[in-house]
Amino acid sequence: MAHRLVVFASLNQVALVKRALQRNGVYAEMLRTPRCLLHTGCSFALRCLVEELTLLQEICSTYKIVPGGFFDDVEESIPTLDNELLDS
Amino acid sequence: MIYLDNAATSWPKPPAVARAVRDAITHSTGNPGRTSHRSSMDSAILIQECRENIAQLFAINNPLRICFTANTTDALNIAIKGVLAPGDHVICSSMEHNSIWRPLTALADLGVELSIAEADSSGVVSATTVERLLRPNTKLIAMLHASNVNGAIQPIAEIGMLARKHGITMLVDAAQSAGSIPIDVEAMHIDLLAFPGHKGLLGPQGTGGLYVRERVNLRPMKEGGTGSDSNSPHQPIYYPDRLESGTLNLPGIAGLNQSVRYLLQRGVAQIERHESKLTQHLLAGLLKINGVTVYGPPVGVPRTAVVSFNLREMDPVYVAAELEKRADIACRPGWHCAGLAHRTQGTQKTGTVRLSPGPFTKIKEIEIALSVIAELAGED
Repeated sequence: MAHRLVVFASLNQVALVKRALQRNGVYAEMLRTPRCLLHTGCSFALRCLVEELTLLQEICSTYKIVPGGFFDDVEESIPTLDNELLDS
Repeated sequence: MIYLDNAATSWPKPPAVARAVRDAITHSTGNPGRTSHRSSMDSAILIQECRENIAQLFAINNPLRICFTANTTDALNIAIKGVLAPGDHVICSSMEHNSIWRPLTALADLGVELSIAEADSSGVVSATTVERLLRPNTKLIAMLHASNVNGAIQPIAEIGMLARKHGITMLVDAAQSAGSIPIDVEAMHIDLLAFPGHKGLLGPQGTGGLYVRERVNLRPMKEGGTGSDSNSPHQPIYYPDRLESGTLNLPGIAGLNQSVRYLLQRGVAQIERHESKLTQHLLAGLLKINGVTVYGPPVGVPRTAVVSFNLREMDPVYVAAELEKRADIACRPGWHCAGLAHRTQGTQKTGTVRLSPGPFTKIKEIEIALSVIAELAGED
């Protein structure tokens, strides 16, 4: 199944969107943004099925959240966390 | 103990509150927003769930506009100091708690113009009185929803409509109303709502929050770590991160989440009916006791579950001590952190004895309190 990563500026935004997706019966996984996506300036991401992106965009629109970007779910990039940038 | 001090902090709490606080400390609870391990993500979801439950309670359409604070005073300071600058004009009522009166007085020393709308004899301020005080530079109306001194309820929807009509930001102090009477930020035209977690919302102390309407943008009172945009030297512009620097009170918020769930289930309107019945019974009983002076709205007029009284010339501190000694009744004597309100109702010299029932108070407990007060009155 094809997945995409959708990045957001903060964990608060990711948590809100994830819960809204859950209420619609859609599973999404919360992740810290992999190193390769840090140029977006965003911090956290949701990994979800490509076919759920329309619903996700509707949710973002409802809550006036602007996603930092949509990325192909490159499997090997996901666990590559940038520890130097993690807050204490 | 007969607990009649719910206006200061509510007790008891729904049992789920203590369980949630314990679980939050006992089990691994990561710092939300700082990392990506499961525990941290779980904390974020819990906090988000609490934001959503609070949003439902107050009819707020975007939970991300609710920022957690340590208490109402914290929230009011963030709101007041985030809106006003020297040269701006602000209106408050003559019934304010020190949590509005003192920050506004401090800002008045720095060049903010302050007007005080006088309340009537029962402690209520009319929209007409507020309207008369408007100036071209009026930036903010800051007003309590219900008095912690005498329970008077302000016509917030009318004053909010006035503020909206003139493009003025409306800040409401819901310290005594949140969880006790229904609040709808849309219907009441509230732009900024400051609320405590530990009073009518029945959560732990050290919790509270501030709702910020989308068109309102506040200067943050503090900047710092938010777990977002960490490489930038600037505070994020998006909410709640803009106002939530530093690690949140996760155990407190976990407890608050459960108490708000309890309120959603029981219904604030049901609690309002329960407390109103107790309060009216208390008022009617007090008025039958010779030598008692009761303050605030008359019997039959809606008020929150706050009743202030004096017994002849007796010192309120003595009356409160006797209530505890004779029947283990907990209440509050004195000025209730609201010098301005006491000036308004003429009790600035001694203060009052304040009885405040809560969602779990029984009518029998009110009757015991009344009988002890009658006994004291008979001894004078």
